[in-house]
Amino acid sequence: MQSSNAINYDYTVAKYFTISAIVLGIVGMSVGVLIAFQLAFPELNNMFGEYGTFGRLRPIHTDGVAFGFTVSGIFATWFYVGQRVLKVSMAESKFLMFIGKLQFWLYIIGVAVAVVSLLLGYTTSKEYAEFEWPVDIAIVVVWVLWGISIFGLIGIRREKVLYISVWYYIATFLGVAMLYVFNNMEVPTYFVSGMGNWFHSVSMYAGSNDAMVQWWYGHNAVAFVFTVPIIAMIYYFLPKESGQPVFSYKLSLLSFWGLMFVYLWAGGHHLLYSTVPDWVQTMASIFSIILILPSWGSAINMLLTMKGEWGQLKENPLVKFYVLASTFYMLSTLEGPIQAIKSVNALAHFTDWIPGHVHDGTLGWVGFMIIGGIFHMAPRMYKREIFSKKLVEAQFWLQTTGIVMYFTSMWIAGITQGMMWRATDQYGNLAYSFIDTVEVLHPYWTLRAVGGSFYLIGVFMWAYNIYKTATSSKAIEKEPQYATPMA
Amino acid sequence: MFHWLEKNPFFFTVGVFLVIAYAGIVTILPDFMESARPLKGTKPYTALQIAGRQVYIANGCNTCHSQLIRPFKSETDRYGKYSLSGEYAYDRPFLWGSRRIGPDLHRVGNYRTTDWHENHMLNPAAVVPGSIMPKYGFMFKKDIDFKTAYAEAKTVQKVFDVPYDKPGMPKLGTYDEAKKAAYKDAGKIVANMKNQEIKDAYKNGNIREIVALIAYLNGLK
Amino acid sequence: MDMELIRNIQGWGYVSMIFIITIGLYAYIYHLYKSQREGVKDYEKYSNMALKDDIDDSLVEAKDPQKDEKDNEER
Ligand code: HEC
Repeated sequence: MQSSNAINYDYTVAKYFTISAIVLGIVGMSVGVLIAFQLAFPELNNMFGEYGTFGRLRPIHTDGVAFGFTVSGIFATWFYVGQRVLKVSMAESKFLMFIGKLQFWLYIIGVAVAVVSLLLGYTTSKEYAEFEWPVDIAIVVVWVLWGISIFGLIGIRREKVLYISVWYYIATFLGVAMLYVFNNMEVPTYFVSGMGNWFHSVSMYAGSNDAMVQWWYGHNAVAFVFTVPIIAMIYYFLPKESGQPVFSYKLSLLSFWGLMFVYLWAGGHHLLYSTVPDWVQTMASIFSIILILPSWGSAINMLLTMKGEWGQLKENPLVKFYVLASTFYMLSTLEGPIQAIKSVNALAHFTDWIPGHVHDGTLGWVGFMIIGGIFHMAPRMYKREIFSKKLVEAQFWLQTTGIVMYFTSMWIAGITQGMMWRATDQYGNLAYSFIDTVEVLHPYWTLRAVGGSFYLIGVFMWAYNIYKTATSSKAIEKEPQYATPMA
Repeated sequence: MFHWLEKNPFFFTVGVFLVIAYAGIVTILPDFMESARPLKGTKPYTALQIAGRQVYIANGCNTCHSQLIRPFKSETDRYGKYSLSGEYAYDRPFLWGSRRIGPDLHRVGNYRTTDWHENHMLNPAAVVPGSIMPKYGFMFKKDIDFKTAYAEAKTVQKVFDVPYDKPGMPKLGTYDEAKKAAYKDAGKIVANMKNQEIKDAYKNGNIREIVALIAYLNGLK
Repeated sequence: MDMELIRNIQGWGYVSMIFIITIGLYAYIYHLYKSQREGVKDYEKYSNMALKDDIDDSLVEAKDPQKDEKDNEER
């Protein structure tokens, strides 16, 4: 069938977003490591005047890794996986090619404006939605362009049935669109009053309504940015890299609907013991427990895909990344519902256990899938072997150590602080002043920051490896079918 | 029915959207109609307090401090009466926070004073040894953006009917009136501060960020 | 509408949703396994969309069989 004018997949846009995933990963995680050290060594707050304090930098870290690193990774993998499973090339449509490039450049402009405005202190204060309205508009436009890409590519596809990954990408597109728009409803004050800073806005919602919408968003943004698209990735990369068909395709279809139905119902659990009605809270807890099943459906499916092929784990470091990612996914989807149980939440809420939980999901599951996914894509996009297998191995172990240090120290810190806040002496008075509960955390915070640094060093190794792969590694003639070739 | 969904991207998409949207509507919408009624005695922020609140938000104080006292004895002993929904009726955005790296501040106005804040914000560890809160010296040098504060107050008054200028409620008025009133409010705070630079700036008609921030913190009760 | 009514509707919204989820998901399981067993549809072959995803690989299920044949002839 091969002939001279055969079409090939066109990875131009996938390459663009690969670069932005790497760069923004480095930026976002460096800021993360800095603010982690700030908690242990507060003098570090004073390095850049008002622009270097913990409160200013934290949104740059969270948004940087969520909307920078992760979303770039989602786009990069979509522009790679999408073409392949639909068996259609971007080169076949000038229009889609243009939209893809436009999406990238607008995204980059949006990111730049977002970072600068957050540094200057323009923020709505709502977590993972800190951007002020002009940036929000840019984000909406980028998202719509992505939608055009998805449905445009689907429109010209050759495969009749959509592969399960495409389902998950579609769900990501819809879910984020809806959540983002509703949570960011705001009124720019300049246009109403005719004075003041034109960047500033006030929320459409007040008080507990605002909180309710925010945590509905906060919880589900985690679903649709950190879970759904990452499942899309693993359903492609793990089978492809290992050469094993998905253990049960039927189970994958079922878990998809399970996840869609149940996840969105559990949003209220972030509000336990606040002023939200009792029964809503109870319902939310119950649903978050039911949620374990469909979420594990996908993870178990992935692990079983490797059944009888565990030898690959020794030979292929990328399989290691994917398998460990699904293990962390199982861990954090178990931990989440546990934290949603009322009595556990009473202890855990407001403590370091929460960031601990977030990070075993994001570092272990999201980070490893994006890193591993891009390792798989690189030789196919750049037509060269991975520059160094040893470096991949070293990165894997360094980052795994970092993650373990991170979440164990945060678990201990969180539970310690939660217990100390409520501890009483023999007369029923509070046993500790607040500052006691801060000072005790110093060793754990130090350990956490070191763990985070390990992970960050791993990201630098990844960047270097990909850079070398793209520029100077040994060329490959024929695209490898399964396992990624490494030097 | 299932076959049909699986190979029909358009209806598949609609299906997913309905599932997501339905969950959103049922979990969120009803509570909208209920909450948000202010408690008796809850008043909107003065323009100066809004300026302070904007300083609070711009510097991400909410990344380390919650403003939500939960109904447990250990919390009410430490911070005071537990929080009620109606108390937040004028909070746009809400500032409950998600992490208590520092203590809750919902009722900090009950037990901390202007001069305590003055010393603490300049160098927290000097007041509370072992504190990891950043130093906020720059707030002593930077003026507030009163226009934006007024713009926010005017906007919520116009768009959301926040009851400024109603009997028993804070006065807002025109920009010039509001500015005069804020200047007067700020004077009461400056009088309790020691920093000479701030007093001088005030005499020249300038209100520093720290003054507005303290006005806001003192109002948290 | 008074608040009690709204709360009632919300409660029913929840209950009916649980109902639909349970029935729907179990019906779906049944449907998947029955179609596979009776040979109506082989779901497992769709895994190949990831494994054989080269642009020249044969399609698992062509969207438009005729157009595709023409495609191939042209090449
Ligand atoms: C890095 C986290 C952090 C940030 C950011 C932060 N604080 Fe703090 N804050 C703390 C800690 C820890 C304490 C407890 C020790 C102390 O009193 O200094 C504290 C204590 C306080 C107290 C005393 C409360 C009490 O009950 O004694 C006030 C008031 C306060 N902070 C206000 C602020 C304001 C206003 C900002 C924003 C400009 C801010 N904080 C930003 C960590 C932080």
